[in-house]
Amino acid sequence: MKNLTISGHRIKKELKILLICFFATVLLNVFAIIYYKTNWIELISQLHIVVLLSAIIYFLAVLIRIAAWFIAGMFKLRKNK
Amino acid sequence: MEDIFLINRREFLKKISLIAGSTAALASMPWLKIFDNDTFTGQASDKVRLGFIGIGDRGSALLQNVLAFAGLLNVEIAAICDNYPPNYERAVKFTNGKAKAFYNYADLLKMKDVDGVIIATPLHEHYRITMDALDAGFHVFCEKSMARTLDDTKKMYDEHLRTKRILQIGHQRVFSPVYLSAVQKIHGGDLGRITHMRAYWHRHGDWRRAVPKGRPELEKKINWRLYNSFSAGLFTELLSHQIQVANWIKNSFPVSVSANGSLIYWKDGRDVYDHIACLYEYPDNSQFIYDSITTNKHYGCEEQILGTKGSMELELNKVYKEKPPEPPAILQLINDIEKEVFETIPIGGASWVPETAANTKGDYITGNYKMDETKLQLEAFVHYIREGKAPEELPVQGYYATVWSLLAEQAANTRQCLKLDDKYRI
Repeated sequence: MKNLTISGHRIKKELKILLICFFATVLLNVFAIIYYKTNWIELISQLHIVVLLSAIIYFLAVLIRIAAWFIAGMFKLRKNK
Repeated sequence: MEDIFLINRREFLKKISLIAGSTAALASMPWLKIFDNDTFTGQASDKVRLGFIGIGDRGSALLQNVLAFAGLLNVEIAAICDNYPPNYERAVKFTNGKAKAFYNYADLLKMKDVDGVIIATPLHEHYRITMDALDAGFHVFCEKSMARTLDDTKKMYDEHLRTKRILQIGHQRVFSPVYLSAVQKIHGGDLGRITHMRAYWHRHGDWRRAVPKGRPELEKKINWRLYNSFSAGLFTELLSHQIQVANWIKNSFPVSVSANGSLIYWKDGRDVYDHIACLYEYPDNSQFIYDSITTNKHYGCEEQILGTKGSMELELNKVYKEKPPEPPAILQLINDIEKEVFETIPIGGASWVPETAANTKGDYITGNYKMDETKLQLEAFVHYIREGKAPEELPVQGYYATVWSLLAEQAANTRQCLKLDDKYRI
């Protein structure tokens, strides 16, 4: 069985993307609080939703990146032919 | 192991002391003050001796409730009385033969060392027994309703004032933690202005108790609730509870009542209605709609209090906000995005949406509790006896609940809208 190795560089990159997703969701929450004129306490009280939403966005980003990698691979293959 | 009754009692006293601590709450519920008293939780030094008159279904329940706290509150069941032998024998058994037993209440009232009597006889007997008991110097706890007629009800109330004896009427909801919390919240403005109230008590059954075979002469004695000369049926036995709650919540009394009644199903010789409907008006022009039936129990028993800011269902211990709180902003944003993306825009079709009931879960008025309000009202009676007085609001609540139940019966009989004669105002 072949061992799957995830490089330190890859882990660092994924963590960065996850962090970007999290901060983007926090910003989304800030926008929503201003837009719907609710209480600022929701920045903390709704943190569980923010974390969940950032995880969903991260996985969506993963899917998009896989699709992009797949399409790029197809182009590369055609070029080499 | 701690006694379950003590635990429940402690929970209740904790809740009640929070309510009793509020000056505003005490103004409309002064009978709570007794629960804010340290001695209430402790062992009372002076013994209270009670007599029971009428030990049928309700009387037995009251007797067992008192027996449950008798040791804790230093209460002695000194005497029991019932003129129906099976009830008499059952009561003797409950008290292990320790209480003096009588068939005639007049003999019980001759006892010198009894402080108070608890009366749970058929309605038409309340007046005579209560008058005699007050006159003999006893404090009286009388089951609702007070009496069969307006005149007798007024005389009972006047006799209590004349003799300066306690007269407490069995409206146990005034001691229920749910109702106490609800009234406190309503009077505090949580529901906004109370513009409407509805209540109902729906049962499915003939309301009969078994009469011993071969003893038809006992029919009216046992099934007294079904006969006009003994009871006003649904008016005095069920409505009286709920009109008391309505009065308490409105902090006032009705100005008029219209009613209707019909005997459409249980045609078994009874002469009280088996379906009733009433409409009360209060001084602020708000209305209280009531109905009670005996042929369908789907909706059960409920009091619905409707205000401009919310609603309460007291029997279910539920409160509903008229405008439920908005969800958090982030969820609103997600919902709005979802709507924009997925919702279809109708081009034609129905322009009318059915206005069915709101499907919100609501909140509990107060947390769950296990304390029985019937027990609490009897505990309160014991303490009032010990203090020698009780808040006047209690008999006043009982008085007007009976008066407005009896007036509803008259309104149903005459098919008129009736107002209370000034001579019955107290």
